[in-house]
Amino acid sequence: MPGWLARWPSGPTWCRVGKDEGARVTMQMPQFALAPAGLLPVSEAEDRLARDARWSGLMAAAQQGDGRAYDTLLRECLPLLRAICRRRLAMAAEVEDAVQDTLLTLHRVRATYDPARPFRPWIAAIAERRALDRGRGVARGLARHTGLEAADHLGVEGDAEGRLISADLRAAVGELPTSQRTALQLTKIEALSLAEASARSGMSMGALRVATHRAILTLRRKFGMEP
Amino acid sequence: MRTEDLIRQLSAGLKPVRRLPSPLAMLGLWCLFCAGVIGAALLITGLRADFAAWLQDGFDLYHLMSAALVALTAGYAAFQLALPDRDQRWALLPVPAVVGWLVTMGWGCLEDIARLGPEAMNLSVSYPCLNFIIGLGVPMTAAIIYLTRHAVLLRPMPVAALGGLSAAAFASLGLTLVHELNAAVMVLVWHGIAVLVVTCIGALAGPMLMQRTAL
Repeated sequence: MPGWLARWPSGPTWCRVGKDEGARVTMQMPQFALAPAGLLPVSEAEDRLARDARWSGLMAAAQQGDGRAYDTLLRECLPLLRAICRRRLAMAAEVEDAVQDTLLTLHRVRATYDPARPFRPWIAAIAERRALDRGRGVARGLARHTGLEAADHLGVEGDAEGRLISADLRAAVGELPTSQRTALQLTKIEALSLAEASARSGMSMGALRVATHRAILTLRRKFGMEP
Repeated sequence: MRTEDLIRQLSAGLKPVRRLPSPLAMLGLWCLFCAGVIGAALLITGLRADFAAWLQDGFDLYHLMSAALVALTAGYAAFQLALPDRDQRWALLPVPAVVGWLVTMGWGCLEDIARLGPEAMNLSVSYPCLNFIIGLGVPMTAAIIYLTRHAVLLRPMPVAALGGLSAAAFASLGLTLVHELNAAVMVLVWHGIAVLVVTCIGALAGPMLMQRTAL
């Protein structure tokens, strides 16, 4: 191991000096005189400040309709969103659903962001809220699931036909377009009110109604029932 | 759907949005709207009959000021809370003004009792109070709910309740200019009940209204 690396203090992250980062990292220079050219440690706090400023800029551009900036911003935010949702939710699938809820909410309220303020608290507040909602939904779902399990012994065993229909139904639901599947899941399976389902999915109540109706029509046709 | 695909969908064909004005600017807009509504109500009903004497006698400045303070602080708190990154303690902003409002009305009651004795506590139903505050407060609540509709996905109920409180306080302020009600206990009870009703209507119906008018 080279001597300069052995003497390197543990902790700081590495950062390649870019055009716009020069001024920021030169503040760190005196204590790291032996640093290799181009690679400099940057404290986490400074890193976060720079990242916040960058995200604010990207979001301001997104508000003006810059899709590429928006795409970059959302991708860069994903680890943060996943970390926030993971703190509140245990199941990986639920975490990802909460992250998607956050993205949909963020998209609908993007006009409320003020670029003069830091971006991180804004997006973190939305993620916290969606993760909390998703957590409540999971708790409700678990309660319902437990109820169904308790009723398992009631004539279900040996009902092969019923099981086949259930499997077919599950497959048919799986083949529905995403919006219809989401609408059906929230309004019929989780039995949420239209307002709650709309808040969760980011779809308007009208769109939810139409998507649920179409999903049911598709399923009815598939199983040979009159629509 | 994979999250990355969702991001791609959201970014594709992204439309520009008009940034929301600051809470202070929204409050200014809200005050202008309320002034317009109260002005229109004054044109229809006219000023209270004893307005000149009431002004000369030294009207209850503290009462008016505290009602105005409730209207302003509740409105400002609603506009702040409607934004995702604002502290939820903004909801407490109108509390001192509400306490002040109740204290000024309570103080008025005590003065009346000292002046008139137990007669001051005679209470009759004041329909004009209820009609004016509820009749004006509910449509005004709908207006502030429209202005804060972006709160629908975040905390709709507190925002709608604060909006209702602000609208009711403005209506109560307007009523003071229109209707003679010099017995403090009548003001305390009927203004109080009417403001409470409008705030509750805001809290209960507001989230649904936000949902219908949402972005």
